Amino acid sequence: MHLVRDAFSPLQRGAPLRTAAVCLGSPFRGDDAVGPAVAGRLRAAGATVLDCADEPTRLLDLWDGLDTLVVVDAVRSAAPPGTIHRVDARGGPLARELGLASTHAMGIADALELGRALGRAPRRVVVVGVEGASFGMGETMSPAVVAALETLVAAALEELEREETPCTSGH
Amino acid sequence: MSETREIRTDYLARVEGEGAMLVRVRGGQLEEVQFKIFEPPRFFEALLRGRQFTEAPDITARICGICPIAYMASSAAAMEQVGGVELTPQLQALRRLIYCGEWIESHVLHVAMLHAPDFLGYDGAIELARDRRDLVELALRLKKLGNELMRVIGGREVHPVNFRVGGFYRAPTAAELSALVPELEWAREAGRELVRWTAGFDFPDYERDYAFVSLRHPGEYPIERGRIVSSTGLDISVDEYEEHFTETHVERSNALHSTLAGVGAYLVGPLARYALNYDELSDAAKEAAEEAGLGPVVRNPFRSIVVRAVETVYAADEALRIIAAYERPREPAVACVPRAGSGHGCTEAPRGICWHRYRIDGEGTILDAKIVPPTSQNQKTIEEDLVGVVEGSLDLGDAELAHRCEQTIRNYDPCISCATHFLRFSVERL
Repeated sequence: MHLVRDAFSPLQRGAPLRTAAVCLGSPFRGDDAVGPAVAGRLRAAGATVLDCADEPTRLLDLWDGLDTLVVVDAVRSAAPPGTIHRVDARGGPLARELGLASTHAMGIADALELGRALGRAPRRVVVVGVEGASFGMGETMSPAVVAALETLVAAALEELEREETPCTSGH
Repeated sequence: MSETREIRTDYLARVEGEGAMLVRVRGGQLEEVQFKIFEPPRFFEALLRGRQFTEAPDITARICGICPIAYMASSAAAMEQVGGVELTPQLQALRRLIYCGEWIESHVLHVAMLHAPDFLGYDGAIELARDRRDLVELALRLKKLGNELMRVIGGREVHPVNFRVGGFYRAPTAAELSALVPELEWAREAGRELVRWTAGFDFPDYERDYAFVSLRHPGEYPIERGRIVSSTGLDISVDEYEEHFTETHVERSNALHSTLAGVGAYLVGPLARYALNYDELSDAAKEAAEEAGLGPVVRNPFRSIVVRAVETVYAADEALRIIAAYERPREPAVACVPRAGSGHGCTEAPRGICWHRYRIDGEGTILDAKIVPPTSQNQKTIEEDLVGVVEGSLDLGDAELAHRCEQTIRNYDPCISCATHFLRFSVERL
């Protein structure tokens, strides 16, 4: 059941939890700006936020061996704007149809899968997203997303602070 | 009998950003190709108006996460022209060196992660990594070196903060650059490995007599400066660009097509640079090209992947040359005082020439900005390639034809992060 987990980097048992967030999106593209907006708030709260400038394969070395990586992004699905999404990607590939509203050369889902294929991945990956309404260049964030911003930050911080019990083989 | 077939693929992976494409085949004949993958960065042009001329590099850097240096270098060159200043040779070399880092990172990302899977029958880099972990690891190490060059000179790996009009805020020490030499020497050989690997791919039999357009500067392969030249005999200063090149709005697809006066569609990027500047390649790059069986001109767009690998060898080699000759400049920048007037800048982004024009007032306020990135210039050529490729591939099944079209588009490493949000790709057979 945990074949994917077994392909991860060896756990540093007993080492302090190491967590980081990566916040995706363009500050100029409507609700896509929610990632950068959350990044500033997470940094202010003392969290480690990795920057990849829309090219997540830059993160393969940085997230290798992390206990938890929290991915924050705008989401496009059929949900009402402002809906908070939380997807635990531990069990397998991130669904591409989740429609993370990014414009990356290689999406975060693909970059994480590449990391897993190479044994360079975080132990646990959680996507915390908010359903966006519009993504036009030069637009500001929609009211629904602005209203959800603090909830999104709280959700990201909660995931970053979550204590994980180590997964032993044989489960 | 009228055979009706319709294929739709709503997502084109492995192209940075999104766009739209339609291929319509009726009764076995190609009826129409519409290709719209790029919208010009009008938003950024508007954002620049009213800002200080010194802010242009940092603002335009945000247009593309993959090639910020191209935008920074073109905008800085334009502002330096307005101010009537020239970089000292050492500052020019540093600008070229950081640009080498961007070429390595961008080219390797495209060659190994995005384009190679097309030729090998993989869905993407993940499947490739499972079979050829060694090559993906090699590519990631090369990318990391490109990043490292950007960090040492640019101050950080993404969104460089040390770049400014007139040079840099701080010039690196010779020791900081020398520390990169062993990895660059490895990279030069690793680049040759990429050349050998890609040269062995199976390439579709397709050639066109392109109008190539690139920069050219005496004594060097073009990166951060030069005149604009073409295979059709053009040889102009960057100031004269708008007298020869025009952008036309295409009604049916809402796309913007660039054309060269008296010629039509033209091609910018690795194939053009290579064809127009083969004589300026370093020995190591020429040897790699020869080993790969490339002549001095390559007209098969699918072989652009090999030329990108050759340019990766060149970028590593050129970085080594620059570092060997480096003397830390006494001043990290030349002073650039604003004057009322217009300035033009053009540099070779990994995907081709990136042209900028700005008008500023005597206080240094930007009054007007015009930015023409490489992908907007290639758009018409990509569409023409698609017509040719589809016409020669109608016997392919729907999935194979869709894949061949994607591969054709990826020949241009199109950067569309500043474009429409999602690519909708469809093939219709009616």
